[in-house]
Amino acid sequence: MSHYPTIFFILFLIILTSLFDTINQLFLKTSINSLNLNIKSIKDVISFISKLILIPKVWMGFTFCVMSLFCWLFILSKADLNYAFSADSMHYIFIALGSRIFLKEKVGFKRWVGTIFIIVGIILITLSNY
Amino acid sequence: MYKNKLTLKIIFFLISTDILETFTQYCFKKSAIPQSDVFIKSFSDVLIFIKPFIGSGFLWLGLLSTLIAFIIWSSILSKIDLSIAVPIASSSYVLVPLVSIFLLGEEMTWLDWTGIFLIITGVIIVSSSTEKEKIIIP
Repeated sequence: MSHYPTIFFILFLIILTSLFDTINQLFLKTSINSLNLNIKSIKDVISFISKLILIPKVWMGFTFCVMSLFCWLFILSKADLNYAFSADSMHYIFIALGSRIFLKEKVGFKRWVGTIFIIVGIILITLSNY
Repeated sequence: MYKNKLTLKIIFFLISTDILETFTQYCFKKSAIPQSDVFIKSFSDVLIFIKPFIGSGFLWLGLLSTLIAFIIWSSILSKIDLSIAVPIASSSYVLVPLVSIFLLGEEMTWLDWTGIFLIITGVIIVSSSTEKEKIIIP
C-alpha cells in the first residue's frame, strides 16, 4: 500500500513536466507571433533569432524549459522509462488546448482527430516495449 | 502569399529538429555515463557532479545541437501554428522504430506496426487541417 502515494506523485510530476514544456512553447510562439517576420533566407534567420532572444518572454519560457528538464530527470531516476513516456501523450493535449485558448489558433475537428490518432499510436508503441 | 501553409520543406525541417534533439539526448547521456557512480546529497555534490562535464566534448556537442534545433524550431513556428508543428514533430516515434528495423535488423510486433500506422495517419490528418485556414496576405 505504501507505494501508492509515490505513483500518484510521479504522475503529478509527469503532468507538471508536460505543463512546463507547453508553457515554454506558448511563450516562444507568442514572442514569434509578435515579431511577425517572414523568413526567406539564412540572413533573415540570423536577424530573426537576434531579435527573438531580446524578448523577455522567450527567457521566461526558457526558465520553464529548464524546470521541466529537472522534473523529467527526477522522474527518470524514480520511474520506469516506458511508464514515464505517457508524459509525451499528455503533452499533445496540453498543446492543442493551449494553442486554442492562448494563441487563438483554430483547432478544428480534423486537427483533434489527427492529434488523438497520434496519441493512441504513441501509447501502442510504448505498450509494445513492455 | 500564404501563411500557415505546410510545405514539404517545413516537414523536412521539423523532422531534422527531432533528429537533432535525439542526438542531443545521446550526447548528454554519453557525457553523464562516467558520472553514474556519483550520488548527489548536497549542493556541493552538485558542483562535484557538474565539474567534469565542462571538459567533456559530448556536452558541448549536445549544447551546439540544442542551439541549432532551437533556431530551426523558432523559424518553423514563425510559419505555422503551434498546434500543427507539435503533432507533426511526433514523426520521430515512427523514424526510430523504422531505423531499428532496416539498419539494426530488430523485429517489430503488430502493436508497433499499428502504432506506426496510427501516427502516420494522424500526421496526415493534422497536416491536411491547414488547407482550410489559409490566410491570404496581400
